[in-house]
Amino acid sequence: MMSANRWMATGNYFTAYRQEQRIFATHTDRLMFALFLVVLFSWPYFIELSTKHMLVIDNILIAVIAVYGLNLVTGFAGQISVGHAAFMGVGAYTVASVAGVIGDQHVLITHAWPLMILLSGLMGAAMGLIVGLPALRLRHLYLLMATLSFQLIFQWIIGSMELFNQGQFMYVGRVHWFSGEVGRSQHYMFWYYALLVTVVVSGLGVRNILRTRYGRSLVAVRDNDRAADAMGMHPGLTKVFAFGLAGFFAGMAGALQAYLNRGAGFETFTLHESIQYLAMTIVGGLGQLTGCIFGPAAIRILDLQVESLAQWAGGILPSSLDLATGLRPLSFGLVIVLFLIFEPRGIANWWRIIRSYIKLWPFRY
Amino acid sequence: MTYFFQLVVSGIVVGSIYALAAIGFVLIYKSSRVLNLAHGQLIAAGAYITYTLTVYCHIPIYISFVLSMILTFFLAMSVERIFLRRLIGEPIISVIMVTIGLMSIIDGVIYLTPFGSENLSFPSFLPSQPIVFQGIYISYTQLAGVLITFLLIGVFSWFFRKSTVGISMRAVSDDQMASMSIGISVPRVFGLAWATAGLTAAAAGGILGNIVGLNFDTLHAFGIIVFPVVILGGLDSLPGAVAAGIIMGLIQQFASGYLDGNWGLSGTASLLPYIVLLVILLFKPHGLFGTHEIERV
Repeated sequence: MMSANRWMATGNYFTAYRQEQRIFATHTDRLMFALFLVVLFSWPYFIELSTKHMLVIDNILIAVIAVYGLNLVTGFAGQISVGHAAFMGVGAYTVASVAGVIGDQHVLITHAWPLMILLSGLMGAAMGLIVGLPALRLRHLYLLMATLSFQLIFQWIIGSMELFNQGQFMYVGRVHWFSGEVGRSQHYMFWYYALLVTVVVSGLGVRNILRTRYGRSLVAVRDNDRAADAMGMHPGLTKVFAFGLAGFFAGMAGALQAYLNRGAGFETFTLHESIQYLAMTIVGGLGQLTGCIFGPAAIRILDLQVESLAQWAGGILPSSLDLATGLRPLSFGLVIVLFLIFEPRGIANWWRIIRSYIKLWPFRY
Repeated sequence: MTYFFQLVVSGIVVGSIYALAAIGFVLIYKSSRVLNLAHGQLIAAGAYITYTLTVYCHIPIYISFVLSMILTFFLAMSVERIFLRRLIGEPIISVIMVTIGLMSIIDGVIYLTPFGSENLSFPSFLPSQPIVFQGIYISYTQLAGVLITFLLIGVFSWFFRKSTVGISMRAVSDDQMASMSIGISVPRVFGLAWATAGLTAAAAGGILGNIVGLNFDTLHAFGIIVFPVVILGGLDSLPGAVAAGIIMGLIQQFASGYLDGNWGLSGTASLLPYIVLLVILLFKPHGLFGTHEIERV
């Protein structure tokens, strides 16, 4: 029996595994989620934001999609990847190089863009499977090295091949929607909605993957790969699978980024960016689905604040001091280290505490 | 043929600095099983400290070289004390990620100093005329770099073989529990491992700064190349680090000497180490001299 009503539940009343695996434990959760979605979809009608801030919001959503992938491989399967930006680059350059070959105004780019995004995701997944291959033999330290070498080989390939314009900016045309071409004024708003839909769909997708045996085996391999092996899972294949999934989400995020920026450039996919995505995953919370949303938001907003702080300080301090380039890595590094030392479970843990407090209120336990 | 030998000579010069850098990395891994991704940043810090002492404080370069080694010794030790000590017993992933965070922090600090975005070069203190032998050139700075490197490597192998502290460090790397039970303070050994790694990093940074000049991007690239070198040599082998350093230096010099400019290739020297790294990971993950401890899980 569940608790008497499915609106409120202050304890654990599950009597079957199926109940425990529900996406939403109570009707209230489901209602809150629906309300939240309504707010997310409707706020642009009430609040006018500048292009700069809209771009930040779009970038946060892209990072959320990327971090879904990184959290699957690092948070759930326990393998550090420092090549996540390169996987995104694979996606972005899939779109960009197709645009470069067939022309950036081709129907395939402008009209069939959902297809292109999916294709980029699949390219990313293929790359992820290839890079994950050493996982069949090796454990985390060495896998870290494999992803690092993928990142650097990717950077070399982009930087030196004609097909990719040697790392120079490659253009991608404006997309079309039912109402015709998406113009300059609606560009960021349009992609806000496209990204929001992708974030919600892939979030539910990740949640569902985690309910399947494949998702559970990710967690089992992270917690103890030898025990997982003894229970009949194949740790190597599981890790390869995790890398493939990570590549899929990264590829999609990369393609979306290429569409949002109207092209792909080298500097968006460097090792430095990979480390930023890692920071987002840690700050959000490793192995927490909600962390995938908190982390990117926190890091991007921090970035914004550091930038305006640097601008403010730039007026006071001598101009020779380039504060922004130094403060950014410094603040990232500090955030990663402080979170790892004081709150290894990330912002998602604060969210969990707040939720359980509200749920149990007025009781304290 | 002269060209070939010229490449060999410069390969050995670059490679010996790689070896010196890799030794610091191996030291930390060997004693505490921590993969210190911020090692390149320690090298950069050493290089900039040497530069500051020489140029701004007008200290003779020999003394400032030694001083920067001492300073980085304490810097690395305090890094271990402040950040890593709290994480003993935590999962290895968090430890690695803390070193990634450290990487960012030291990057940021260096960018905030006046050197971050500039090209600097040491004042020359050795004759600038290169030595020419049968058409092969080698500058005095390079020669001095190689000599200092091998001197330091010699000192370190003596240190590990004969001195009490070195022996206790080897003991800890073998078995932490056993060494604790015979009265070795394991946290102290971890701190010492980091400190000696800082020492070698500063030496590598100082030598590198003298040979190629100080540019943060170059130092960055140099820091990242430490990883393929140590994997090639074996993560926990000091002689492996030396051999792999020189092999990697030779590979890079041959790549840029013979491959670049042919078949439309360029910058292969920065690519090949990582291809070597991937091949090594797939076929001989314990490297050339590492212990065979990798389990296939």
